[in-house]
Amino acid sequence: MSSGETISLKLNGEVREATAGPTTTLLEVIREQLGLTGAKKGCNQGVCGACTVLIDGKLARACLSLAVNSVGREITTNEGLTEDGEPSPLQQSFIDNGAVQCGFCTSGMIVSSHHLLQDNPSPSVDEVRDGLSGNVCRCSGYKKIIDAVRNVAGG
Amino acid sequence: MTEAGYSEPVSVDEVVTLLAADDEAKCVAGGASLVAMLNARLVEPSRLISLRHVEELQKIELAEDGWLRIGALVQHCDVAIAAELTEGNQVLSQAAGLIANPVIRDMGTIGGSVGHFDPAADYPVALAALGAEFEIAGANGRRSIPASEFFIDWYETALAPGDLITCIRVPPPPAGSAGVYEKLAKVKGDMGIAMVAVVMAMEGDAVSHLAVSVGGCGPTPIRLSDAEQALIGGRIDEAAIQNLGDKLSAASDPVDDVRASAAYRKILIPRLVARAIGQAKTKLGDGS
Amino acid sequence: MAADKTTNKMYQVGKSIPKIDAKEKVLGQAQYIADLIRPNMLFGAMLQSPYAHAKIISYDTSEAEKVPGVKCVLTGDDFEDHKMGPFIKDEGAIAKGKVRYMGEPVACVAAEDEATARAAALLIDVEYEELPAILSPEAALEPGAAVIHEELQDYFKVFEAIAEDNLMSFTEISEGDVDKAWDECDLIVENTYETQAQNHLSLEPCGALAEVEPDGLINLWSANQSVFRVQANVCECLGLPMSRLRSMTPKVGAGFGNKMEAHIQPLCVALALASKRPVKMILSREEDFETVRARHPFKVRCKTGVMNDGTFVAREVELLVDGGAFADDSPGVLGNAALMSMGPYHFPNAKAFGKVAYTNHLRFAAFRGFGNPQVTFAGESQLDEIADKLGIDPIDLRIKNVLDKGQKWFGGQKVDSNGLQECLEKVRASSDWDNRRKNSGDNGIGVSAAGHISGLLATGAIVRMLEDGTFVLNTGATDIGQGSDTVLTQICAEALQIPIENIRTAAPDTDGSPYNWGTTASRVTYTTGRAVVGAAEDAVRQIKDYAAILLESSADDLELREGGMVGIKGANKEVSFFEIAAMTHWGVGGPIVGSHTLVFDQPTIDPKRAVARGMPFTNIGVFTFAAMVSEVAIDQVTGKASAEGAWYAVDVGQAINPGLVEGQVDGGYAQGLGYTLFEEMVWDDGRLANPTLMDYKAPGTAEVPYEIDTTIVEHPEPDGPFGAKGVGEITLVTVPASIANAITHASCLRLRKLPLSPERVLNGLMENE
Ligand SMILES: Cc1cc2nc3c(=O)[nH]c(=O)nc-3n(C[C@H](O)[C@H](O)[C@H](O)COP(=O)(O)OP(=O)(O)OC[C@H]3O[C@@H](n4cnc5c(N)ncnc54)[C@H](O)[C@@H]3O)c2cc1C
Ligand code: FES
Ligand code: FES
Repeated sequence: MSSGETISLKLNGEVREATAGPTTTLLEVIREQLGLTGAKKGCNQGVCGACTVLIDGKLARACLSLAVNSVGREITTNEGLTEDGEPSPLQQSFIDNGAVQCGFCTSGMIVSSHHLLQDNPSPSVDEVRDGLSGNVCRCSGYKKIIDAVRNVAGG
Repeated sequence: MTEAGYSEPVSVDEVVTLLAADDEAKCVAGGASLVAMLNARLVEPSRLISLRHVEELQKIELAEDGWLRIGALVQHCDVAIAAELTEGNQVLSQAAGLIANPVIRDMGTIGGSVGHFDPAADYPVALAALGAEFEIAGANGRRSIPASEFFIDWYETALAPGDLITCIRVPPPPAGSAGVYEKLAKVKGDMGIAMVAVVMAMEGDAVSHLAVSVGGCGPTPIRLSDAEQALIGGRIDEAAIQNLGDKLSAASDPVDDVRASAAYRKILIPRLVARAIGQAKTKLGDGS
Repeated sequence: MAADKTTNKMYQVGKSIPKIDAKEKVLGQAQYIADLIRPNMLFGAMLQSPYAHAKIISYDTSEAEKVPGVKCVLTGDDFEDHKMGPFIKDEGAIAKGKVRYMGEPVACVAAEDEATARAAALLIDVEYEELPAILSPEAALEPGAAVIHEELQDYFKVFEAIAEDNLMSFTEISEGDVDKAWDECDLIVENTYETQAQNHLSLEPCGALAEVEPDGLINLWSANQSVFRVQANVCECLGLPMSRLRSMTPKVGAGFGNKMEAHIQPLCVALALASKRPVKMILSREEDFETVRARHPFKVRCKTGVMNDGTFVAREVELLVDGGAFADDSPGVLGNAALMSMGPYHFPNAKAFGKVAYTNHLRFAAFRGFGNPQVTFAGESQLDEIADKLGIDPIDLRIKNVLDKGQKWFGGQKVDSNGLQECLEKVRASSDWDNRRKNSGDNGIGVSAAGHISGLLATGAIVRMLEDGTFVLNTGATDIGQGSDTVLTQICAEALQIPIENIRTAAPDTDGSPYNWGTTASRVTYTTGRAVVGAAEDAVRQIKDYAAILLESSADDLELREGGMVGIKGANKEVSFFEIAAMTHWGVGGPIVGSHTLVFDQPTIDPKRAVARGMPFTNIGVFTFAAMVSEVAIDQVTGKASAEGAWYAVDVGQAINPGLVEGQVDGGYAQGLGYTLFEEMVWDDGRLANPTLMDYKAPGTAEVPYEIDTTIVEHPEPDGPFGAKGVGEITLVTVPASIANAITHASCLRLRKLPLSPERVLNGLMENE
């Protein structure tokens, strides 16, 4: 697991050291070495979206990103979007709108939503559906997630 | 389990040298296909060569000959909004916009998609319709291969071991042309069941340019140049469209897979072709 | 709690408060099984069978054992011959002697890291002798078919199973006399409907972490829907007393039946016992697909006879079910399917019977609605076929035959709360049914209704007062994301008249929690809620007794007041829970512990009315109801049908938390929509051809319309907590038929086989032309 070289990653505004071989994914490093377990491994294949993070401001699947290939880039996970450890307005909106059920998709959903809102602070329902089309939620039917994104946008 | 090596070259020459030195080495572009295969242990390369610092691969630029050069590392999200893709060439941006989902589009690259060459991938279909060419750097220098010769068989391209795609060259769009990309997928963002790319132009009622390519229905994108040519200069009515669709269907070689049956794809081809050409006509302002 | 219900003044019940665990989840801090770490932990991995059906001849583990970092390797030879199973004890911890489906675990490894364990598992060499693979229930029941469980007759069965060769279970229920009744009918319609295998696809793959203490006591954490079923299964198949194993659960990344019975826990415990180190095993998505469980494929022959005015006279339903390699919940699913096959209607003559057969597929099991989605697809599709033939509006036809007050469910159980007629009327209005059925544009709309159960088996609750007068609620119920911790807290807070914040909900733990059969069968709100009310009432009795001392009054003259106070009725004098806690902790009596346990005991079958054979359960639950209208668009070019909207009305007795009810509606709809339109596990010979999310598609934001309208109907269940009953499953049950019926409305096309794929729709459209 942690064979390989020491690398340093810019993670949520901090420089963090980890050990990674060429094929170690960013998801493995942040979850298993750096203690950030918000990003989940739902498929390890890029489909479910539970591991979605931001790399240099673009969306990325942590499970499809090689750790070594992420050195020098700004990596942001859902944990990095919190405000002093408290929910950001977007995260609070997920709470207030009942957008969280089992929570396994939630971190990835919030990262994708955050990215969407940066480009488009008041998206329509269909714009949110488009923006979140790469994040699977098996529990919610998405309606309350869409509400959460739109309500933070409106407020 | 021997650990692979890892390199981050900065120039195409360095990449080519690294590839030449190691048969089992693989380039990493966006990683969207390669890392998924690494995770599933479907490939075990001896060396991973990250392309991310190779400046030359990152740009879209208009060359002096009027062709557009899309660097291999340009991501799907950027192709989807590229202002340089105009008129009929927009079939490529439409295809890019229908690949996967926003996250994969932010990661995956056009060179990676073409290099990986999944027969259900979107770019090859659009690039075939555009008559694009692939610029390749290899042990023997650089060469350019037209799309019609590039895609060879299931998961097989004209790339030789050690070849790197440097850019995709797209010819200037025919004057006044329109492009339409149609994709049927089980769910949005899935690999397609069948795709159709149409590039078309008209002069008055007559077709002046027509390219129709079908994907997901055989090992490589299907284009029937003779059948296209036969329609040039004439009105393209329902019967003509049906005829072209039927020919494409007959030329297709789909398989049964978890997305759909071969028989369904055969039925679908003429229907999607008709829809795509119909939309192209509408775009071209011909409602008839 | 009847008084609160009649005055209808609720303090905590009926409010859409946010889920109590939402904050840790949005912050990314909630801990799921894959996030847990124990010191010195190893990782487990397994080797899977390459054959669907084969004898195991020998194992060679030497190569795997040589791999640096490998600590232990186990094969079937290392396991004693113990068996587990909720209905038929037919399943070991690992394949032993033979393999019964492709992908079945045959050996396992514990190593210092996951990659080593996985690589080493692949080095284990197993010699097999292939046997004929049985890949359909028809093939399984052919005379002379290869037998999958040779010792079936010897297996322990918890019910009087009718089982022989590959027949796992036969069930029959009948009332009246269908054979005679056909002659009376003006119209008889008979069709066969088919459904496919659906994967539960909880976003979190299954996993477990086991640790053995020096004295041999085992601690086991796992993703589950019942810590108690985990405890029972592991101990049964490893031959351990249950007192040796403590089963716990971290946050669970959803469960829809897949995490109810055992998955990887027995192997994980075996590895921990053998290696004497903590072992964690997390399934890859592929392994989860291949080895956990899935929804049963059904063939449903449904024959319904009616009068010209739409009155139902008789229905006969015959079921043929693929059970897979192990019984798991299959007998229960068949039994529930039979019981639900008349729908929520009155049929004077009714008969349902069917078989579930062993095959060489992975085990099929309970999945949201267990058996009901399949039979409701058949029954509710057929009602529209009948309505069409009779020229009666589909909603009118249903309302005409809805079980009336006092009428019994098929089998004879009484139905207390039944809001179905109101549900049908509500969706008629909310969907603008009358207009839209007439002016059919391109889109079609279709209706479907169902009843489902809410209940089953045993449950308990303990309500404990802390030193400051706040409480801990302990039920042993696993919150799988649907929000039961929140709902049970609201129920408890209502019963104690205290703020939500004054209750802490204990995580399920077999050491400290009262028994809870599990989070399944739409039962937690109803059954565990009843236990919570009972436990709170027990605590309140004690509170009043002590308050009476402090207030120098009689307990009968006291009342609870909001916020944790007890006062004398009609007077200002009151005392706080804080004071009572102080008194009981430091001076008088002893700390207050309220408790209550119950087992659902209303009989399902009334032998005076119905004849039943091979019933897997005796007391199933109370009844919940729903009606829905679906809107569908069809792409005439490709045949692709897409869902455009849904209008639901659900009778939940009393919504404890309306927001969470909506969450169950939205989520059940989405999962049902995937089931109806495209989700399908496909086998190629014995091999699952699409065991990945790349190839097995779940609905995303593009497939699920935003337009999901929920009307909550409240017909209180007399013994439910504040009148509540469950809602988790019924919201999925109605989806397939409503969509199939909407497709018929849009295109005159009747499809009787799920999924309603573009290919099937297009073929149908072309045939109709
Ligand atoms: C969830 C998901 C959904 C997807 N859906 C679609 C879809 O709908 N349509 C679609 O078309 N695609 C789809 N894809 C594939 C996606 O487009 C990938 O991004 C693309 O196929 C690979 O691009 P990449 O840059 O990530 O390549 P990588 O994964 O980095 O590389 C892929 C392969 O190409 C080779 N390679 C990379 N760059 C070059 C180069 N310059 N020259 C030569 N060889 C090179 C690599 O060595 C490797 O073998 C999907 C992928 C995922 C994970
Ligand atoms: S785990 Fe990365 S997308 Fe599923
Ligand atoms: S809340 Fe469970 S997957 Fe989204």
